[in-house]
Amino acid sequence: MTTYFVAGIVVGSVYAIASLGLVLTYTSSRIFNFANGAMAFFVAETFYRSVVTWGWNPHVAGLFMIFVFSPLFGLVLWAVLFRRLSDTPSFVRLVSTVGLSVALPALAAILYPNIDANLRPSILWSPAHDYVILGVHLDSDQLAIVAAAFLAAVVLTVLLRATPFGLSTRATVDSGRLSATSGINTSFVTAVSWMIGSTLAGTAGVLLGALRGYTIIQFTSLLLGSLAAVVVARMHSLVLAFAGSMMIGLLQELSASQQFQHFLGHFASATNPILLGLRPSIPFIVMLVFLLAYNGLREERFAIDTRASVPSFGAAADRAGRPWWRRMLPVVACIAGVLVAPAFLNGVWLSVVASGLALAIAFLSYVVVTGEGGMISLCQITFAGIAAAITAQWATNHNVPVLLAILIGAAVAVLVGMVAALPSLRLGDLYLALATLAFTQLVQNTYFQTPRISNFGQGVPVPRPNGLATDRAFYYMLVVLFVLVAGVVRNLKRSTTGLNLAAMRSSETATATLGISIVWSKFVAFGLSAFIAGIGGGLYASYAGAANMTQFDALIGLVWLTVVVTWGIRSILGALLAGLSFTIIPQFFTDHLSGRWLNLPTLLFGLGAIALAREPRGIIADVVNRHRARRVAS
Amino acid sequence: MSEAGAALAANGVTVRFGGLVALDGVSLAVPPRSIVGLIGPNGAGKSTLFAVLSGLLRPATGTVTMDGDDVTRASPQARARRGLARTFQRQELFGELTVREHLVVAYRAGQRHRLRDLLRYLPVDLLGLGNRPTPGEEEAVDRILGQLGLRDLAHVSAGALGIGTGRLVEIARALATRPRVLLLDEPSSGLDARETAELTAVLRRLRDEHELALVLVEHDVDMVLGLADDVTVLDFGETIARGPAAAIRADARVQAAYLGDKSVGDET
Repeated sequence: MTTYFVAGIVVGSVYAIASLGLVLTYTSSRIFNFANGAMAFFVAETFYRSVVTWGWNPHVAGLFMIFVFSPLFGLVLWAVLFRRLSDTPSFVRLVSTVGLSVALPALAAILYPNIDANLRPSILWSPAHDYVILGVHLDSDQLAIVAAAFLAAVVLTVLLRATPFGLSTRATVDSGRLSATSGINTSFVTAVSWMIGSTLAGTAGVLLGALRGYTIIQFTSLLLGSLAAVVVARMHSLVLAFAGSMMIGLLQELSASQQFQHFLGHFASATNPILLGLRPSIPFIVMLVFLLAYNGLREERFAIDTRASVPSFGAAADRAGRPWWRRMLPVVACIAGVLVAPAFLNGVWLSVVASGLALAIAFLSYVVVTGEGGMISLCQITFAGIAAAITAQWATNHNVPVLLAILIGAAVAVLVGMVAALPSLRLGDLYLALATLAFTQLVQNTYFQTPRISNFGQGVPVPRPNGLATDRAFYYMLVVLFVLVAGVVRNLKRSTTGLNLAAMRSSETATATLGISIVWSKFVAFGLSAFIAGIGGGLYASYAGAANMTQFDALIGLVWLTVVVTWGIRSILGALLAGLSFTIIPQFFTDHLSGRWLNLPTLLFGLGAIALAREPRGIIADVVNRHRARRVAS
Repeated sequence: MSEAGAALAANGVTVRFGGLVALDGVSLAVPPRSIVGLIGPNGAGKSTLFAVLSGLLRPATGTVTMDGDDVTRASPQARARRGLARTFQRQELFGELTVREHLVVAYRAGQRHRLRDLLRYLPVDLLGLGNRPTPGEEEAVDRILGQLGLRDLAHVSAGALGIGTGRLVEIARALATRPRVLLLDEPSSGLDARETAELTAVLRRLRDEHELALVLVEHDVDMVLGLADDVTVLDFGETIARGPAAAIRADARVQAAYLGDKSVGDET
């Protein structure tokens, strides 16, 4: 038991270092840094490279990475990204850092290829020294992590409570503009806090790499565990972030202990996937429990944001001024292009474009829930995945016609979507995003792992519809279905429900006092989006021939989101282009590049979301605006 | 004034924010087709009382009734259905909708609140079948736009409006729900003298034409005293005076609350 306890403290310490940095940067700049784990990863990879390839002394390299490289890295990111985010809507602030979390690992993979996971350089000693403390074996790397966590907690607390810098930070939090007028250099305060936050991330990265290896998987779990701790801290309490980290670490390790496993053995067999998924799920269970237990997480949204969270797509007056056929021209041109495309595409490219179309249908779900509903959902990919899994079960195991099976899958996704919508009734933007992330992780760790669904990583086969089995026939079916679903989304936008959603995006309070049900509006937005994501997911699986859950990974879901927002979250055309670019760009790079450069598309997708800091409405709106400006000027 | 016959009434409402008592046993009665004024210095609890009346805030003690029925625990939506509408001190416009769309949203809200209606309209909304205005909607919306002088701005996006026009849009939106009681939170703030006079005339006409009871929270004391049948004065969460406008104007405690308590001022 003591062994598990100590292991829990070590894991908790990793979470603590990361979550303290998250709290500090959120407190000073109101930006929740989704890329914290990715920053840790980037520093760790640089450290690895410096020791293994460049031959630096590990002690010197480690100190350099933590105390020179990390702060500079934080300063650069602040200068090019975080600084620009302070005046953007919460939607952009969130999605930009999601973009950074997608881009940084890809950048690391391009800069530092061929990392050998078996080599684990340490800032201390390799191999690590072993110590026996109170009868428990601890190595030097583990001790360093625990020591760093306690040190970071003490230093940060003193810094914020007892120094002029801390006072300035707290003033900046309450009102950036007001403290700027009273002579506080708010840029300096936020820059320094990002440097400290980056230093903490780098510390966690360098120490964690030595312990668990330099793979992105480790750093992802680091990030996700620390997110839960920050929720426990309600984003602002250093003490609670530290305590929450330790609690999550302990719960996680103790859940793996023999005693607890034995206790669980009374209820289910040891191979039960729910039990196997328990340990990685603990941060998310903790996160959901605290999100639902805390009161007032909705109000914080209004305290932070005074404007609609999702940027508008052109004022109403602009819409009216042009003939309908001019407005429809881009959509018609795209559909015409898609219709004639098979004549020019060979086999590989046809299937690439077809998969893109299936994804484009799933991406329309973002237009509904986020574009129209104004709610940031990170679990759309889970709706698609669940529908794909159900489709496979019905089509293959129950011999239901596959199109009917897809409808059944999408209907189940609607029910799941209703459950996912529940937190949205209580939570503001950021917390809803975190709750949906927790939801998607829980489903992934449990349901997606069951042998019946995962089929030993192969995925359950899904047939194609009778009579539409050729690539070309299926392709045309996808075009038709995209147009149909797009029509539904377009109708929604112009309908009473759409008006109600637009009203709700601007002011839930005023909408409620008109007698419009907020609950219903949110359920409709989530339910419809789950249905659309489900249709897309089922079609994607049917085209691919199997419902492989690794293609519906939560982290791929983050990339989905970055691609959609890059083109424009409010736009049907944007969803189409997002779906196509998600499959076409990687295929293009596969044809022309190799090795490390295959990470380039992911880097581009991440950078696209980062660019929202400049044009929150995405590429399409940017092009439209330039065009309009030119028209007005001429 | 009898609270039993009131279209809307607050009875002994108390609200606390942490240790602060924002409202302390405040009562208010709004008879049908009357204009009730609510005045008091900053922080007196006027907007808090509005939040309690409209269902955005639940009081610690006390009740809210509409036509004698207890609605203290009813949602804002349920109260809207019973004929309550309001405007906001800090404007809560729908930035992406046009002025006309504000009224359309409000008008249609009254038609679909039962689950049966919501389910019936959902396929219509998603498939675009028969998605046209219900009979009477266009006329009703146009009439309200006309009454508030907003016809020319009907297709302008609310994000582009000035403060004064925005207040009129909020009033028009509230009227489109076809209320019997309308709560107006500082309708004249941000307006100049001429606009205020126009607004006063509009409000009087609304009461007569729509058979509407109005509750006014105002900083402009003269406007309230000129318009209201009955005035309640709040100070630090307590009712310090209540009665016809003329009596309020003469009330010593009201003058003290507004002009500052001289005796306290002398001691410091």
